[in-house]
Amino acid sequence: MVPDLLILCGAGMLVTAYLMVGQKSLFMTIRLYGAQSLLLAVVAATMAVAEAHPHLFVMAAMTTVLKGFLIPWFLMRVVDRIGIHREIEPFLNVPASLLVCLGLTVVGYRVSTGFPEGAAGMTHHVIGVGLSTLMIGLFLMVTRKKAITQILALLTVENAVFLVALGITSGMPLVVELGIFFDVILAVLVLGILVRRIVDRFESMDISRLSRLKG
Amino acid sequence: MTEDALRAAAFALMQAAGFVLVAPLLRGAIKKMKAALQTRQGPPLFQMYYDLAKLLRKEAVRSEVTSWVYAAGPRVYFATAVAATTLVPVLVATAPLESAGGILGLVGILALGRFALAAAALDTGSPFGGMGASREMTIAALAEPALMLGLFTSALAAGSMNLGAVVRGLLELGVFFHPSDIFALSGLFVVLIAETGRIPIDNPATHLELTMIHEAMVLECAGADLALVEWASAVKELLYVTLLIDLFIPAGIATTVAAGPLLTALSAWGGKVLLFAVAITLVESTNAKLRLFRVPELVAVSLGLGFLALAIRFL
Repeated sequence: MVPDLLILCGAGMLVTAYLMVGQKSLFMTIRLYGAQSLLLAVVAATMAVAEAHPHLFVMAAMTTVLKGFLIPWFLMRVVDRIGIHREIEPFLNVPASLLVCLGLTVVGYRVSTGFPEGAAGMTHHVIGVGLSTLMIGLFLMVTRKKAITQILALLTVENAVFLVALGITSGMPLVVELGIFFDVILAVLVLGILVRRIVDRFESMDISRLSRLKG
Repeated sequence: MTEDALRAAAFALMQAAGFVLVAPLLRGAIKKMKAALQTRQGPPLFQMYYDLAKLLRKEAVRSEVTSWVYAAGPRVYFATAVAATTLVPVLVATAPLESAGGILGLVGILALGRFALAAAALDTGSPFGGMGASREMTIAALAEPALMLGLFTSALAAGSMNLGAVVRGLLELGVFFHPSDIFALSGLFVVLIAETGRIPIDNPATHLELTMIHEAMVLECAGADLALVEWASAVKELLYVTLLIDLFIPAGIATTVAAGPLLTALSAWGGKVLLFAVAITLVESTNAKLRLFRVPELVAVSLGLGFLALAIRFL
């Protein structure tokens, strides 16, 4: 039951990453990120029950509140305020991106077979899914033009790292995880302000225009 | 030996007849739920039965230029849909005509029906028929491999290409969950939407000339011909839903032929079909129809998910 739930939620996270690659609405991407974080919270809570690590409950609760609701709400507000075009314009079209992501997933899965068996005996699948999500996140970061979608890609990578960490260590010390959380919140706030500065300066969120700054 | 064959034939007949009789109910249920979401009353649950009865009484008007290809189209389409139902386990964990074919047989039979209908649409010589046929085939060319890849993923887990054996194998494995299942399920769900002409892909409720796919193909059909096409489409829809149930949530299916397990299996199957009907209704109600040129993109996503499911199953 526990391994099933872990794998279901892990695979669900990878599916949300794929959906982020596959569709073009900015709001939908933000909502998908929220859903992905909620799935991660379920993974953390399941781990907490299975491994009797009560501090993981704290992480699950914080993930739900902060990453599941607060960050998506903040990002939607930023998008609303600056009133930009709500379609994502990737450098690479959707079918080609999907093909690349398929390759990345296969690589992630292949790499995961090298990890030692660890927590709950589910390491292979959880790490495989985590590494694949991580690489898809990195891929999203380099192929998206808008600053906001790059923040989302960064957050996806962060979720994936968290998932891999859960898979290998069944939870890092609370202090470390709290530190990561504050880093994430700070990053979102700073990047949110940065996006508005970019929009003020260039009247667009397209970061490829930053290359104009060259002297 | 002959007794076995007779028993299999009787079983196949009963299952096919049951399928054909129940199929319009699923459409009715989806329409009713959709109407409820829009706070309308909607057509009665049995409306499709009334429509079919009315259409079957009417004369099939055919264009003078059509040949036997046109007359054969709806009949072959209906026959293949009914034949396909005998290859799928529904209440018992064996398909009635298991020895006749497995996954590839099922996909091939469905492809034959689609070909017959597209040929009939071309035979009318009307521009809509040709347009509909070409669109239907464009989508089918992507949806069919996606369907096969999804089916192969489960076949690989169970170690057989035969649907009855696949279900028995999955039951034996228990409820172990593999990440490839969720990819195969998402991929096959898109195929289900595409093949049954549901909203993000096609809209079964309108006859708007620029967007229709399936409806354009059967625009020329009338009377009994139209009834056969509609009925076969309903049977196909229930067939795809049953296929997904068999592959991903087979628990509850009867392993022995006895009154008790059969009743449980019937209620379990009904419940699961209803679950899928709710899912389809929600997808139809919350999505807008895609632009035609975006449709291959979506179906390509399902193809990709199928590939991924198969790759993960191997690794």
